[in-house]
Amino acid sequence: MIAWSTAAPAVGAAFLASLVEVVEAFTIVLAVATLRGWRPAALGTATALAVLGAIVLALGPLLGRVPLGLLQLVIGVLLLLFGIGWLRKAALRAAGVIPLHDEDAIFARETAELDAEARRRHASLAWLAGLTAFKAVLLEGLEVVFIVVAVGAGRGLLLPAGAGALGACLLVLAVGAAVHRPLARVPENTLKFGVGVMLSSFGVFWTGEGLGAAWPGGDLALPLFALLFLGAGLTAVAVARRALPEAA
Amino acid sequence: MSLIAEVLKELVGMFVGDARLSAAVLAVVAVSAVVADGTQLDPLVGGGILLVGCLLLVVESARRHARRVAQR
Repeated sequence: MIAWSTAAPAVGAAFLASLVEVVEAFTIVLAVATLRGWRPAALGTATALAVLGAIVLALGPLLGRVPLGLLQLVIGVLLLLFGIGWLRKAALRAAGVIPLHDEDAIFARETAELDAEARRRHASLAWLAGLTAFKAVLLEGLEVVFIVVAVGAGRGLLLPAGAGALGACLLVLAVGAAVHRPLARVPENTLKFGVGVMLSSFGVFWTGEGLGAAWPGGDLALPLFALLFLGAGLTAVAVARRALPEAA
Repeated sequence: MSLIAEVLKELVGMFVGDARLSAAVLAVVAVSAVVADGTQLDPLVGGGILLVGCLLLVVESARRHARRVAQR
């Protein structure tokens, strides 16, 4: 029986991170569907999901063969690289140093680019549209797969983390089907900030365990790490805001 | 071919969005590993260095990036 205190951070991190990625993929799939209809969009999406499934089926069993300490260390370091990068970018966006992610603008740009590409290459728009949807779902999906493996593999939580990611997919699909436009009102940067906090916390936790550190309180150290990273992220926002006029 | 290149680029970009930040994270991990594994100290000390180092990196890398943007 998996303890709720152990599973909740993994499920929460997988859900929120997947929500961000799926919203981004959905914007592009919707642009494809708007321009060329749902058939190439659905075909591209389904093919990408099949490729992702094949990757998971091929690589999943290998994880069980890696010694736990090494697995925690490798995944922990990758999580640190990924999570701290997300947290820093979200802090810089919150501080106004770099522009916010705008799903409406991305939708308009993607639609225009797809149209121009079809004219330039005299290629079938349906083929280009399907390929665009395929690439978007595959690239964003790879990030989802990594996050699920990263937060789930170290404690045998792959299934709960996978369920969190699936929940995010279903939520975006349901809302997207209802509103039928880019999900621009999703507070994407706030989500990214939260996910950066959680992934960085997992990164320190796994890397430390991989190095042989026995964290006081065991899994309960994770929420404490999350609080510390939240504080660091908020400090980063304040410091970046202050650095802007200072240097100008 | 370009699709495979794009996938590989995306995978690398996931972990090395900013080369300086990634190098700094790896340096903090390396120092923690040396302390945890190569000294008589409790591995928890290495873990503590890892935690504090990563927290400082978040703040410092945001400050550095903001200053760079402002100076452009």
